[in-house]
Amino acid sequence: MTRAFKVHPAYLFLLPSATALLVFTVWPIAQALWISLHDWSFLSDARPFIGLGNYVELLGDDRFWNAMRVTALYTMGAVPLQIGLALAVALALNERLHGLALFRAAFFFPVISSLAIMAIVWSFLLDPNVGVIAGWMTDLGMRRIDFLGDVTLALPAIIVVGIWKNLGFSMVILLAGLQGVPREHYEAASIDGAGRWQRFRHITIPGLRHTLLFVVVISVIASLQVFDQIFVMTRGGPLFATDTLVTYLYYQGFSLFRMGYASAIATILFLLILAVSAGQLRLFRYRDVD
Amino acid sequence: MKINPRIAIPLGMAFLVAACQASAPAATSDGAAPGESSAPESEPASTEDSGEQVTLTFLAGFTGGDRAAYEGLIEEFNASHPNIQVEMEIQPWDVIGQELPAAMATGGGPDIATPSFAEGSIFAYAESGSILPLDDAYGSGEGLVERGAIPEAALNAFTYQDQLYAVPANFATLLLYHNLDLLEEAGLDGPPESMDELRDYAVQLTESDDAGNVTQHGLVLADHATIPMWPILIWAEGGSIVNEDGCSGLGSPETIEAVQTWADLVINENISPVGLTGGEADNLFAAGQAAMEMNGPWATGVYTPAGINYDVAPIPEGVAGPVTLATTVPMVLNANTEHPDAAYEFFAWWTSQEAQGALSLGSGFPPARTDMADNAELAEHDWVPKFAAAAADARVYLAGVEQFTEADTEIFVPAIQRITRGESAEDVLTQASEELDALLGC
Repeated sequence: MTRAFKVHPAYLFLLPSATALLVFTVWPIAQALWISLHDWSFLSDARPFIGLGNYVELLGDDRFWNAMRVTALYTMGAVPLQIGLALAVALALNERLHGLALFRAAFFFPVISSLAIMAIVWSFLLDPNVGVIAGWMTDLGMRRIDFLGDVTLALPAIIVVGIWKNLGFSMVILLAGLQGVPREHYEAASIDGAGRWQRFRHITIPGLRHTLLFVVVISVIASLQVFDQIFVMTRGGPLFATDTLVTYLYYQGFSLFRMGYASAIATILFLLILAVSAGQLRLFRYRDVD
Repeated sequence: MKINPRIAIPLGMAFLVAACQASAPAATSDGAAPGESSAPESEPASTEDSGEQVTLTFLAGFTGGDRAAYEGLIEEFNASHPNIQVEMEIQPWDVIGQELPAAMATGGGPDIATPSFAEGSIFAYAESGSILPLDDAYGSGEGLVERGAIPEAALNAFTYQDQLYAVPANFATLLLYHNLDLLEEAGLDGPPESMDELRDYAVQLTESDDAGNVTQHGLVLADHATIPMWPILIWAEGGSIVNEDGCSGLGSPETIEAVQTWADLVINENISPVGLTGGEADNLFAAGQAAMEMNGPWATGVYTPAGINYDVAPIPEGVAGPVTLATTVPMVLNANTEHPDAAYEFFAWWTSQEAQGALSLGSGFPPARTDMADNAELAEHDWVPKFAAAAADARVYLAGVEQFTEADTEIFVPAIQRITRGESAEDVLTQASEELDALLGC
């Protein structure tokens, strides 16, 4: 008599997702790690193992450190502003207003539009010679500004476009979170004499803690990986002022075909995202006193 | 719930197999990039001899307004060569740059390709052996690319370690586009004829409003994502980027003076906006907001429909005599091809007088041959004779520099961008020269 081999049905349900995860996520990550340990060129048959050689080279690579700095500045500029604005808009749109659906749709529209196409549109809007914004400045008798061609203004301009694009996503999530905060809490607080700010500080924010955690983590990850709008609008310029980790990674991988080096940058980015996300989760859990 | 393992395990395996099969179309069996048709592997190499039809796949980046001229050429070749059929697939340059290396590295890819519009892009492929040397395809006589007729600038651009690795898919020179209406308004009679005059024209043709906004630029100079313009200004004054020894010429007094002079005009006289891409410079000329621009024959297809009243003239001479930029798209042969003979025949036909004549008439480009000056049809064309006449004095940017991408992207372009933003040409170019020498191993 043989003993029946038991398969928990949960594993069968997990199989499709687990397979996709293994094939399309885990395996490529492992491959990238392995490639980063080689002098791995797209075109060359000889791809010698060089251990941590690529990582050592990165330490002395000015453009890599510039890309780290630009990526950090983008994230620190875009995420707080985006979430702050999204929260303000979500609070406003959580009230009973005329044309509420229209406003919600308007703020969400950039999320569903193609980022590459929107980046082209923004490039035209910001163009100092043929752009609409330059036209308005001229009409007002002002000196036109070359937002994307100026070393100090290019990154802020890119940040604004990033916020415009992603605001709607954060807003919708926060709006859903707001609607989950029980009305009775506000009523009780009002009876106890709490003002608007106190209600916001002691009811809204604690009630949104988990939603905010989700929005912050997702926004930080997206910001650390920013690529599309930069590639279309400035290609990392002028003078590498908008050259982020991913645009630099793209340059190394697809212009110089140095896949080993590009994979090393990808690995650093992966570890950076992992560390930042873990830090955020820990921070929010620490403060979670419920 | 318990599931019988006799059902569960085969079911799971079946799913895995199905998943793997479902993902297979992402790359063709021989590793060709998605959407590419690849050379049939089972076809014997001797099909040309046996009279069977051979299919050559050709991946090209001719997405511009001249696309129809290239497609017409392929149709003509296929009609006149029943034993060789060329299937051309046109993709944007960025897509080719991403997919071609991976396709070739995995033993696939098209038989023939234009890896990039930049001549220097072929060196990485040549170094790795991904493309075949084509010295045998050049020569004299039927079935060969007429070496003596191909512009010297193209031959220099395609030579890597004394071997030729490409055939010119096209050939173009840059001329001075000038807006005739704007010149007339400024009281300027005809295009400038010397570099000094070009500078005077550029200043005179620049206009500003009361707020200090420039309403019209004299000469637009793009510095990135463009056909190179600054090298012409350097060469004209006797400077160089890479000198005859293959080392940096950026630190030479002539180069420094040329760049500083033009940068001063950009900064102080606003003859051009700073940090333009080629597309932005073109937009300004097409909008009538720029009076002059150095550009290639492809721009006629933009400026004529835009209604600009313009003409082209030779680049004005500087102390170094007549000079302009030549650009030629390289056409290479994949080392994985099974039909080199058919490809040679295609190359020979493509560069023949017949094919180049048709391409010139269809695209406005000068022929990639120097022996067609007496072609009556071409002589009557509005633009072709003018661009062809400049071929003899044309040079290729960073010709033969194996580290083309790094030299351009990391050294030359940032140097020009820093100088046009106010840094000293002497300081920046001296530093850039050291970096370039280090890159070139000098």
